[in-house]
Amino acid sequence: MKKLALAGMLALGLAGCSSEEPQVLNLYNWSEYMPQEVLDRFTEETGIPVVYTTYDSNEAMYAKLKLLDDSAAYDLAVPSTYYVSKMRQEDLLMPIDRSKIEGFDNLDPELTNLDIDPDNQYSVPYLWGTTGLAVDTADVQGEPVNAWADLWDERFKGRVMLTNDMREVFHVGLRVLGYSGNSTNPEEIKAAYEKLSELMPSVRTFNSDAPRMPYLEGETDVGMIWNGEAVMAKDVMPSLEYVYPKEGIIAWLDSFVIPKNARNPEAAHKFISFVLQPEISALISEEIGYATPNLAARDMLPDEVANNRASYPTATDMINAEFQTDIGDEALQVYAKYWEMLKSGQ
Amino acid sequence: MHSAMQQPFKTAVLILVWGWLLFLVLAPNLLVVGASVMTRDPATFLSLPLNLDAYRQLFAPLYLDVFLHSLYMAAMTTLACLLIGYPFAWALSKVAKQRQLVLIFLLIVPFWTNSLVRTYALKLILATNGLLNSALMSIGLIDEPLQLLYTEGAVIIGLVYLLLPFMILPLYSVFEDLKQELLLASHDLGAGRLSTFLHVIVPLTLPGVLAGVMLVLLPAMGLFFVPDILGGSRNLLVGNVIKNQFLDARNWPFGAAASIVLTITMAFLMFAHRLSKRRLGEEGA
Amino acid sequence: MARWLPRTYLALVYLLLYVPIVVLVVFSFNEARTGYSWGGVSLRWYEALFNNRALVGAMWNSLWLALSAATVSTVIGALTALALHRYRFRGKKLLNGMLFVVMMSPEIVLAISLLALFLLVGLQLGYVSLLLAHVTFCLPFVVITVMARLSGFDESLPEAARDLGASDFTMTRTVLIPVIMPALLAGWLLGFTLSLDDVVVSTFVSGPSYEILPLRIYSMVRVGLKPEVNALGTLLLVFSLVMLMLSQWILIRSKR
Repeated sequence: MKKLALAGMLALGLAGCSSEEPQVLNLYNWSEYMPQEVLDRFTEETGIPVVYTTYDSNEAMYAKLKLLDDSAAYDLAVPSTYYVSKMRQEDLLMPIDRSKIEGFDNLDPELTNLDIDPDNQYSVPYLWGTTGLAVDTADVQGEPVNAWADLWDERFKGRVMLTNDMREVFHVGLRVLGYSGNSTNPEEIKAAYEKLSELMPSVRTFNSDAPRMPYLEGETDVGMIWNGEAVMAKDVMPSLEYVYPKEGIIAWLDSFVIPKNARNPEAAHKFISFVLQPEISALISEEIGYATPNLAARDMLPDEVANNRASYPTATDMINAEFQTDIGDEALQVYAKYWEMLKSGQ
Repeated sequence: MHSAMQQPFKTAVLILVWGWLLFLVLAPNLLVVGASVMTRDPATFLSLPLNLDAYRQLFAPLYLDVFLHSLYMAAMTTLACLLIGYPFAWALSKVAKQRQLVLIFLLIVPFWTNSLVRTYALKLILATNGLLNSALMSIGLIDEPLQLLYTEGAVIIGLVYLLLPFMILPLYSVFEDLKQELLLASHDLGAGRLSTFLHVIVPLTLPGVLAGVMLVLLPAMGLFFVPDILGGSRNLLVGNVIKNQFLDARNWPFGAAASIVLTITMAFLMFAHRLSKRRLGEEGA
Repeated sequence: MARWLPRTYLALVYLLLYVPIVVLVVFSFNEARTGYSWGGVSLRWYEALFNNRALVGAMWNSLWLALSAATVSTVIGALTALALHRYRFRGKKLLNGMLFVVMMSPEIVLAISLLALFLLVGLQLGYVSLLLAHVTFCLPFVVITVMARLSGFDESLPEAARDLGASDFTMTRTVLIPVIMPALLAGWLLGFTLSLDDVVVSTFVSGPSYEILPLRIYSMVRVGLKPEVNALGTLLLVFSLVMLMLSQWILIRSKR
């Protein structure tokens, strides 16, 4: 009797996980990169529940997608530019059916039809942003901080925070030496590694889960931060300033892509359309502080958001700015090697 | 008297048990050994030219450093657990029997709570704006908050907090078995306290110590979430390296090799434990 | 040695063990958002917790997984223990060896070995992969618990049953199982807790189709600013306490 009951439970258990899943949208996104309200409203409007999982780096996202390649786990992911290019070339993406999404024309033409994805066959821009300096003016005394090179200053020993992002950290190292942040030259990358190694004793922590936290918690005073995080932090800690470094800010773009084996591409397309609505894009930009590429949405933004230099930089801010571009797999390997060495060196 | 009727049940049970273990224990471990000598492949994770590259990479100065640092932190954790746990187990074994059960219960309760959440609670305590600093500053012991979080010390504290019961329980068990007569005999033979301790108690409790060390040292090298939460993504353990190699860098041979090294460490410790028990059996009262 | 010294020492260590837990519970009722200041007593985080659909879903998934993993591992573990205890067959040493390896292996080694296996076999990462993994690491604990019970066991009863002509299966069912029942329950509860708490193995062998609680908590803790974590932690603590007391109660009852 007991054995039957147990067997029954087992069967039920195994059956409960069968492939007959109800319609859901499996969204894989950066952490702190989508207001809960947007997900709730999408479910309300379309009746499709959203299963929301997060990652903190392109590498982690890519590795997980490759791991789950055949099992069609995710319907949408949000890689940065150079990973869109990489994934497209490796045939990991499903083409996006433009006829199924509305609102594409609202997007800033400067950010569409880029080299990484000609004609946006595989990606739809979501948000763009910058990575710059965070300075806690309450704790930083003396000379103002306005360059990446300032991070190497002795007075910041043990108080620096870096994002846990391979390319961004090396971007800083390269710029400080006068090289391009998109360098593919192994000599330059090595030089950047050596320069960054000198910074390591000052680095208190790496954080890409929520880069504003170490500053808010008082663990670090100065370092790298994403502009959206800085905007969100300012509400809680007004002394945290977002500074555009002299050598040039890092700019990037994140886009929606649909993995090739997505189980629910219909829902994916619906979600993209939903986000492209100007009202929703404006909401997102206001909530999390990053810049929306949606021009119609920008018109709808309240003044204090549209004029917030951290979210929407002026032309002066963007002098010397460098957009993250695709650097090819070979160069990525070189970076990966030095990144591991940097993180592992104690 | 095993009639034909009894055989099907026995056979079924044996098939189930063997099947499960062979498929889910033996095979996977062999796969890991195999993976460690294969070559990394960006597309399919592993590919054929067999070589010892992964091990060579592991023992190159950079990763050897990581391994040694991780071993150092694990060793410090184990030492701390031992220093705290040894007297604790001794004191516990001396408490009145009825109370012992309650005390052990109280020891286990924290262990039965979610380890992630407990580690997070430690973060609240160790943070610059956290409770420890607030408390110390309010009673005037320090002027500036101590920077405890995101350091090697924080990771060790976290590991000790999670693993202490694993050291205490085996120690308690050997202390329980410690025959009072031996201690009395030693005293009767004129041995002083210290001498009794060194020559009677320590050797007799050694198997417990080694069991505790085994149960603490290895997890202390593998609990990757502790450095993630308390170490600021620095002060990495071997477990972090393995996780990064498998899940981020997708360098499976390397991750597998690191894992094999951990396993060998475990085998070594088990061997030492066996040896100590056997020697105890030979010298035992 | 002074009488008070050992007792004070014990008390001190217990205090240190419980401080983080007390902090957790107290702050789960904190009105303030950041964990570092006190804003008054409030239940808002418990409320937020229950409104967090994703978290609640993950909790049910975790509970179901723990339930099934504990049950399956108890069945297989009990059979293993019985087989080791009663039957003679070749390779007992290998069997014991494998169980020992699972128990002593650092979790991360277990995790990657299973991931490698699942990928090779082409198993989709989700409920099934998690179940297989969880049962595997719970197994040795069940076996040990049951074996301990069996070792102190009087052989005359099953002998008598066999003499009366009962088949092996019947005898096992009617005689052995009631005897080892407390050990089965203890093993089940242990397996349940191990499964519910597991982070390391689950990180490797889970897929998004089956979200489980520890991984959700991990994201929340890493992001760091959701005080719901405290509320969740407190609830999990209460839950574990109840389970623990249940197991103690059962064991005590069975001793009569």
